[in-house]
Amino acid sequence: MKIKIAWVSIICFFLSINFSYAQGRRVLQIKGSDTMVNLVQAWAEEFMKKNPSASIAVTGGGSGVGIASLINKTCDIAESSRKMKLKEIELAKSKGVEPKEFIVGYDGLAVVVHPSNPVDKLTFSQLSDIFTGKIKNWKELGGRGAKIVLLSREVNSGTHIFFKEQVLRRGDEKSKAEFAPAALLIPSSQAIADEIAQNPQAIGYYGIGYVSEKQKAVAVARDDESPYVKPTLETVMDKSYAIWRPLFFYTDGQPTGLIKEFIDFVLSDDGQKIVKELDFVPLRIIE
Amino acid sequence: MNPKRRQKIVFSLLFISSLLVITPIFLIFFFIFKEGIKVISWEFLTTSPARMGGGGVFPAIVGTLYLTLGTVLISVPLGVLAGIYLSEYAKENLLTRLVKLAIINLAGVPSIVYGLFGLGLFVIFLRFGASLLSGCFTLSIMVLPIVITATKEALNNVPQSFREVSLSLGATKWQTIRYCVLPYAFGGILTGVILSIGRASGETAPILFTAAAFYLPHLPRSIFDQVMALPYHLYVVATQVPGVERRVSYGICLVLVVLVILIDLIALITRYQIRKKKLW
Repeated sequence: MKIKIAWVSIICFFLSINFSYAQGRRVLQIKGSDTMVNLVQAWAEEFMKKNPSASIAVTGGGSGVGIASLINKTCDIAESSRKMKLKEIELAKSKGVEPKEFIVGYDGLAVVVHPSNPVDKLTFSQLSDIFTGKIKNWKELGGRGAKIVLLSREVNSGTHIFFKEQVLRRGDEKSKAEFAPAALLIPSSQAIADEIAQNPQAIGYYGIGYVSEKQKAVAVARDDESPYVKPTLETVMDKSYAIWRPLFFYTDGQPTGLIKEFIDFVLSDDGQKIVKELDFVPLRIIE
Repeated sequence: MNPKRRQKIVFSLLFISSLLVITPIFLIFFFIFKEGIKVISWEFLTTSPARMGGGGVFPAIVGTLYLTLGTVLISVPLGVLAGIYLSEYAKENLLTRLVKLAIINLAGVPSIVYGLFGLGLFVIFLRFGASLLSGCFTLSIMVLPIVITATKEALNNVPQSFREVSLSLGATKWQTIRYCVLPYAFGGILTGVILSIGRASGETAPILFTAAAFYLPHLPRSIFDQVMALPYHLYVVATQVPGVERRVSYGICLVLVVLVILIDLIALITRYQIRKKKLW
């Protein structure tokens, strides 16, 4: 008997939690890029502080996952750290989804090594040779005689694709350059950062927001004549640093209602301040 | 070597082996507790996360409770009914053998496969979306073999004579099962439920695509809402978010472990109460 009462009260407790929250609020689903997920979380948090009635769910998984769920209509906004491919846009249209693109911020990609590594500047062609596996030893770059350990994000990542297209292939669409098979594919930027911090032979790449004093970002030059530039907020903003990319939101058609309110907030000065706080690069300078 | 000495060596070997089994458990609890207790506070338990890694874990606690409860609500009736059928009614034929084979195979499927299956069937095909409902169904399929197997075992452990006596007094087969077999198998069935609770509340992979949100500070309001869940929250805090202190991860871990123990405790007490009433 006692047990029955206990069970009934447990169930009642759950139901009451649910009913007490049962107001007609709509949940905004945002899905996609793991790079942007912390940024979008911060936006969502601030936005909900201002609009207590709004409810926003943020999920990661990778840019590819976000775009796929926009096409499947399982999210309202897809966050993506790369542009939608033509193929994906066609697929979306065939399913009745009209992707609309917003640039919500920029991200500088830093190439990162262990702080004890003497190598501190590299050109695009050196980077391409390193990550495609042509240069295998740090000695060839003026470093210690040790094997280079390549760290990359996995293929579903927008960061991976962007780095391949812009650095490995140097923007050449016909190029077939691929990451060396020896490159370790790692599921998150933070995991690459952790690995770099303990491995003096490793080299990896990720958004400048993940760089701390436990890693060293190398200065990068577009070609032999260009100057070597360190990745910082300022150098990405004035475009003197070469590896940067826009961060996108995609919606199905022109956004309305809560989706529009959220995007307006993201693009506002308040929203862009948060971009800077999280070490991404805002669209414009905000005092 | 004399037999006595050999005996001693064998005994100590056996003893050391069993000691090795408890060592990891002890160490896990020790470290989780030692590191995790530092971040546990009333605020940590009752507020929403703020700037990932900060704030509390309240929505994740509630999300995990809902997922576990929903999973039990779906899988236990289904699993118990299937277990009763397999143990009491099923004839030894091709179909039964197929069902048994399916159960064994289901138990061996890696959890990420359930996650993808749930994504395909519940989220996309049945249009439940990433939601509590999809997550509960996916987890239910995962724990179903545990419940079925436990039910079967429990029913098999009820002495055959119980059934014979009941049938000889003119009771129907269903009456026999309902009044003379099931009450005595209840404890064993609950063991299966306890195991499935542990599994359902701790898994990340099945809910990764079907239910879990990276960040959702509000509690779910319908079964079609996404939820935060402790295992997934732990995963993202430990791997995706820069600059989170290690002890926050341990704190989440501790909350998860304590939560599972508490849920199990309810089931354990229920089982104890029922066993007390047992007449043999």
